[in-house]
Amino acid sequence: MNVEGVLTTIIEGCRDAARIWRDELRRIFKDEGVIIFFFVVPLIYPLLYSWIYNNEVVREVPVVVVDNSHSQMSRQFIRMCNASPDVKVVAYVDDIDEARMLIGRNVARALYYIPSDFQTRIYRMQQATVSVYCDMSLVLAYKAAYQTAVMVSQEMNSEIQIKLSGKYTKREEEIQAKPLDADGLALFSPAGGYGSFVLPAVLMLIIQQTLVLGIGLSAGTARESNRFQDLVPAKRYYHGAFRIVLGKTLCYLMIYILMGAWLTVVVPRMFHFPCLAHWQDLLAIMIPYTLACIFFGITVSCLVRYRENVMLIMVFVSVPLLFLTGVSWPQTEIPGFWQGVSTLFPSTFGVRAYIRLNSMGGTLSDVLTEYRILWLHVVLYFIVACLVYRHQVSLAQQHAKEAEAEGEAEEMK
Amino acid sequence: MLLVLRRIYELSVRECKIFMRNPIYVFCMVVFPLAVMFFFTSMLESGQPQEMPVGVVDLDNSSTTRALIRRLDAFRTSQVVASYPSVSAARRAIQNNEIYGFIYFPKGTTERLLSSRQPKISFYYTMTSVTAGSLVFRDLKTITALGSAAVGQATMRARGYTDDQIKTFLQPIVIDLHQIGNPTTDYNAFLSTMMVPGIMMLFIFLITTYAIGTELKFNHGKQIMLIGGNRIWITLVGKLLPHLLIWLTLVFSYSFYVFGVLEFPHPGGTGMIVLLNLLMVFAAMGFGIFAFGLMPSLRMSMSISSLWAVLSFSMAGTAFPVMGMDAPLQALAWLFPLHHYCVIYETCVLNDFSLLECWWHVAAMLAFMLLPMMVAGKIKNAMLTYVYIP
Repeated sequence: MNVEGVLTTIIEGCRDAARIWRDELRRIFKDEGVIIFFFVVPLIYPLLYSWIYNNEVVREVPVVVVDNSHSQMSRQFIRMCNASPDVKVVAYVDDIDEARMLIGRNVARALYYIPSDFQTRIYRMQQATVSVYCDMSLVLAYKAAYQTAVMVSQEMNSEIQIKLSGKYTKREEEIQAKPLDADGLALFSPAGGYGSFVLPAVLMLIIQQTLVLGIGLSAGTARESNRFQDLVPAKRYYHGAFRIVLGKTLCYLMIYILMGAWLTVVVPRMFHFPCLAHWQDLLAIMIPYTLACIFFGITVSCLVRYRENVMLIMVFVSVPLLFLTGVSWPQTEIPGFWQGVSTLFPSTFGVRAYIRLNSMGGTLSDVLTEYRILWLHVVLYFIVACLVYRHQVSLAQQHAKEAEAEGEAEEMK
Repeated sequence: MLLVLRRIYELSVRECKIFMRNPIYVFCMVVFPLAVMFFFTSMLESGQPQEMPVGVVDLDNSSTTRALIRRLDAFRTSQVVASYPSVSAARRAIQNNEIYGFIYFPKGTTERLLSSRQPKISFYYTMTSVTAGSLVFRDLKTITALGSAAVGQATMRARGYTDDQIKTFLQPIVIDLHQIGNPTTDYNAFLSTMMVPGIMMLFIFLITTYAIGTELKFNHGKQIMLIGGNRIWITLVGKLLPHLLIWLTLVFSYSFYVFGVLEFPHPGGTGMIVLLNLLMVFAAMGFGIFAFGLMPSLRMSMSISSLWAVLSFSMAGTAFPVMGMDAPLQALAWLFPLHHYCVIYETCVLNDFSLLECWWHVAAMLAFMLLPMMVAGKIKNAMLTYVYIP
């Protein structure tokens, strides 16, 4: 009897889950708020972000020059800076005050100041200085202006050294200028672009945030269309927490298999961001990540009373979460307390794993820690989701009983 | 006149009671904003990342290369954490998230260096985290330059040149850097002054639309119009006055904290900071009311507000400058209040230029503030006739 009983329960449970799956799908397509977060945002936002960061680096940062030296060497310095890809000389002015005015109007972002004794000092065998004044409001512009000046000065320095040392052959001159040759290379993303660094994190974060928002909104609608403000409808097949969670998960998973593929596979290729992951590894990470996000979303959805509250709770979290992934701010620099907070969110580990797989060409063995933690999240949040739903189911049943009793009482009258 | 004030007072009191009843207000207007302020200022406390882990692959293993490695380790922003037997092992360490870059000395580096045969060393770093990558790049680049200079220095010393002469020969042109307004490249002063106002704007957008929208949702539209004497402006002012006071308290105390206590550079002075905060809160509330008036439905207006607010972090142009974006985006950036906030902050507070230099942005903020005028009629209409459909 027992075996048969268990079997019937399982079959019945599957049937119920499938019904809930269908219900949930209908509810999603009826709710414009959910459609926005499940479809419009994942489809449009990545394109928008990719467009914003598509230029990757800042070129031709406008720079103003005060050349008091008016010498062949100062002109060479300016010419070489202007010829570099990152800096563009937009104006020559007479003094620092005039230059300050141009920077104030955002016409220029930095000032190169060449003092009047620039060439004289070099010819006298004294150190000459070029002052670089940078507007620090844009770090990328400051870097471009400063690094270009340094590079140009290094190049001119070696020219001067070669002239002074009076070597005979080209090779000797080369060695004189650079006894130790060095070559620097940015691995994985050689251009060091802003987009290919921040976008992968944003893409993964979009998956989590839209899922949580969508699930929360849908749960809010379910609650509001219910007579007793309950999360669980008073339908016969909504009587087990496990089958409710399973049915809903199937529905969300169905949508996010597509959205996940779009976000992690198609979008990076469309905008030529680095895509080095093997599909097996990517799949291995995306399955626990998507599931963890869904269960996390279901857990959060039980907390909200009104449907819009989930937006108030979840939207602002996106920005701190992006920081906690260790992308914009190095992971080693995140204070321990916030590291602890970050372990609560699947996105922290999803983003880290995805970046190392897709942008850095790692394999699953490189992200084993993240992989394990994601599965741990899946299990934990699944259990929590089942528990909170069990509570909701019992609430709903209680309300239904009360209603029944009331109904009977009224009939008696 | 007295009547008007009375109506406003009644509405404000009513709003305060709503705050007490619905805990979400306490969370979104006090707890979360304070948490975010604490989050960013504590997260970026060190100002600049320090002791980033780097590795070495030293196949030469001579006193010269070891001296260079020691020097690298002594830099403030780098810390040599491991030595790897091969380049591929070091690369795997990067993929494993152990280091951000490494330097590679091939076998025979010192030998070739001493015999003037120009050895080549290499360094590799990852730009998948731009902040860490560029710091590690800077240190590794400096170390290789120092390695080169050390050779020249040693030979010249042996020939009896003075230190001054050596310095001049090795570096005839020196770059003298002045980082105006932020001499230590403090990321805290750079990011916390943009991220936190951005999130504050997000909360203002959302809570403003939420507060007006929930009235409709619970069918209280007619009731509050009645208290407001059927005049939409009185109703809105009365309803949003408590919000305004709370937001102003929050942003002013945050400004006091970062500029007064943490002493972020603000040569523009207190007056400018006050003005900027006023502009920000009013513009954000204006935008919130406008978003609701555009689509008098709670879910749509909140969705728009949140999507707009999240996008503004990218469009503000602090992290990735607006001038680096495509031309259409440069134009679109004007539609985001946070962009104007950042420009005014940079121009007037950080760099102490006059307000005239960015008066267009001030005008844009004022325009955001006045946006509700366009939709006031629509909101009134919605208040009186709209029926909430779940």
